[in-house]
Amino acid sequence: MRAKIVKYYPLIPVYAGYFILFMIGKNLPGMWQLVAMLAFYCAIGQAFNIFLGMTGYVDFGYVAFMGLGTYGMALSIAYFYQVEWLGIGVIVIGLILAIIMASLLSMAVGAVALRLRGAYFAIATIGVNEGFRYLIEGAKIWGGSEGIIFSGQLSQAFGVEKASELSTFWADISVFLIAGIAAFITIYYMRGKIGYALTALREDEDAAKVMGINVTRYKIIAFITSASLAGLVGATAWALKLTYVFPPEAFEIHYSVEFIIVVLLGGAGTLLGPIVGGLIYGLSKYWLAVIVPGFQLLIFAPIIIVIIVAFPEGVIGMLKQRIKGTVLEKFII
Amino acid sequence: MIGAQLAGNLTQGLVLGGIYGMATMGLSLIFGVLRVINVGHGAFIMVGAFITLWMFTALGLAPIIAIPIALVVGMALGFIFFYSAMRRLIKAPELTTLLATFAIGILLEELIKLVFGSEFRGYNWAVGKITLPITVFPMSKIYAFIGSVAIALLLYFWFKKTRAGTAVRSVVEDSEGARVCGVNVGWVYALSFAIGIGLTTASGVLLTMFIPVGINPYMGGGYTLKAFVIAVLGGLTSPYGAFFGGLIFGLIENGSYTLFALIPGVEAFAMTRFLSFVILLLILLIKPTGLLGAK
Repeated sequence: MRAKIVKYYPLIPVYAGYFILFMIGKNLPGMWQLVAMLAFYCAIGQAFNIFLGMTGYVDFGYVAFMGLGTYGMALSIAYFYQVEWLGIGVIVIGLILAIIMASLLSMAVGAVALRLRGAYFAIATIGVNEGFRYLIEGAKIWGGSEGIIFSGQLSQAFGVEKASELSTFWADISVFLIAGIAAFITIYYMRGKIGYALTALREDEDAAKVMGINVTRYKIIAFITSASLAGLVGATAWALKLTYVFPPEAFEIHYSVEFIIVVLLGGAGTLLGPIVGGLIYGLSKYWLAVIVPGFQLLIFAPIIIVIIVAFPEGVIGMLKQRIKGTVLEKFII
Repeated sequence: MIGAQLAGNLTQGLVLGGIYGMATMGLSLIFGVLRVINVGHGAFIMVGAFITLWMFTALGLAPIIAIPIALVVGMALGFIFFYSAMRRLIKAPELTTLLATFAIGILLEELIKLVFGSEFRGYNWAVGKITLPITVFPMSKIYAFIGSVAIALLLYFWFKKTRAGTAVRSVVEDSEGARVCGVNVGWVYALSFAIGIGLTTASGVLLTMFIPVGINPYMGGGYTLKAFVIAVLGGLTSPYGAFFGGLIFGLIENGSYTLFALIPGVEAFAMTRFLSFVILLLILLIKPTGLLGAK
């Protein structure tokens, strides 16, 4: 029994981090927006890490799962906003739809792309992402290139005041919750059979296969989990918060790259990494926008190159090396 | 009527395809030798476009002259980025090389934006046109096509007939074997990366000769994606494969656009893009060595 609990000790710093972040946002005036943004990067980093960090496969189309989650929520609100007895159920349906749509896409992508490796996989994910975007625009599905704007429907369904509370408060709270769930799933996978299988796969896929590990199965599990969580983040942090969705934004590859940077900065394949990465990335993005508006990327790009070359393991990756053999080892992974 | 239109558009597509092909050779060369996908590919095309624009508007020089200049500038950029970053990342996991090349692309885009601003620009190089029965070509497009075929041929002979070219081919085949035979693999990496970037930058000149408008720091993104499709058509590791892949892609793009435009209720431009990514996925699934690949 005790051993079982010890397994989950590393969640303590994670949840402590989220709690402190939440308290800062709640109690310091004017900080909520910043805290919400940081929570968003931490949550999506944590979700992405389950696939990217644990398998080592680079998915440039990850944003598509978020995009589809956004569409799931948008469709639910756009279709059911007049059904009065549903009440908050509209949001629940939206969340379920987000999970279903994101995981269906991940199964489709998995069937095609997960047979490929390395650079070929990365290119295939770009292909799926762009192909899906242009299918929506070209065949005029879900409003085509104009997308769906549903702020009006949201206000009609819940009243103006409730709708705005939903966008500015509950959406962000949900992101915190999703981040917490993602952290729990991460450690559950890491300390279970799937985690060992994925580690073996990341180090040497052929060797893992020869050892009798069903690599395809574990890859797909990690992929679907990661995609569903991204769908949830999309349904809350994008759909509920922005109350619109349109294809060029929902499938913008730059977002995937942002999320890759978050994971890599903190340390791919670690539990605490995505949070550290999300905080560093979110804060520097925020401060650079204040100090040098319009030129954030000009400063950020060379920093990223330097970090990749000098510290490829990320912050937590390096920290793990330092604390080997100390008590902290139990808490920071 | 539609037949003539299709024929005209296909001819245009073939010419554009030749330039697309040349614009992808650098990507394939770098992947073939270093096994690195240059996600910042389009940014180098953009640099070539701005070199052309600047030489034409500020110095009054014809875009043709910009081709060798862009090649040299591109090779210099290639050496700089290779020795400052890529050299340390060759054996690293994909994650780091993909991110590094992406960051290099962003850096270039932002530098150009800093100097030239982000509005769309264009130039007009009027050198007459030729009229075929089915379509009309401005001479600048013809020059661009001739230029890209000439560069492709030069690269071909450099590969087959020179010592350096042979060394590069040996590294593509088997880098360990090449090292054992005394090939300076490190230098081959640097040279291939520089030539790959140089070719890409030069292709930016050719692309603006075909489409002299829409020059903007962020114009490269679309070309990166097209180059991926073309490179996969050509088998990803072979520069000549990429050239023929470009020809095929140009035909598919213009041909399918003409046909999609006939279908009511769809956006032809977006459907053309959609089709190209369907082709990309099909080839990756069925024949990852490319349409012209050996095995």
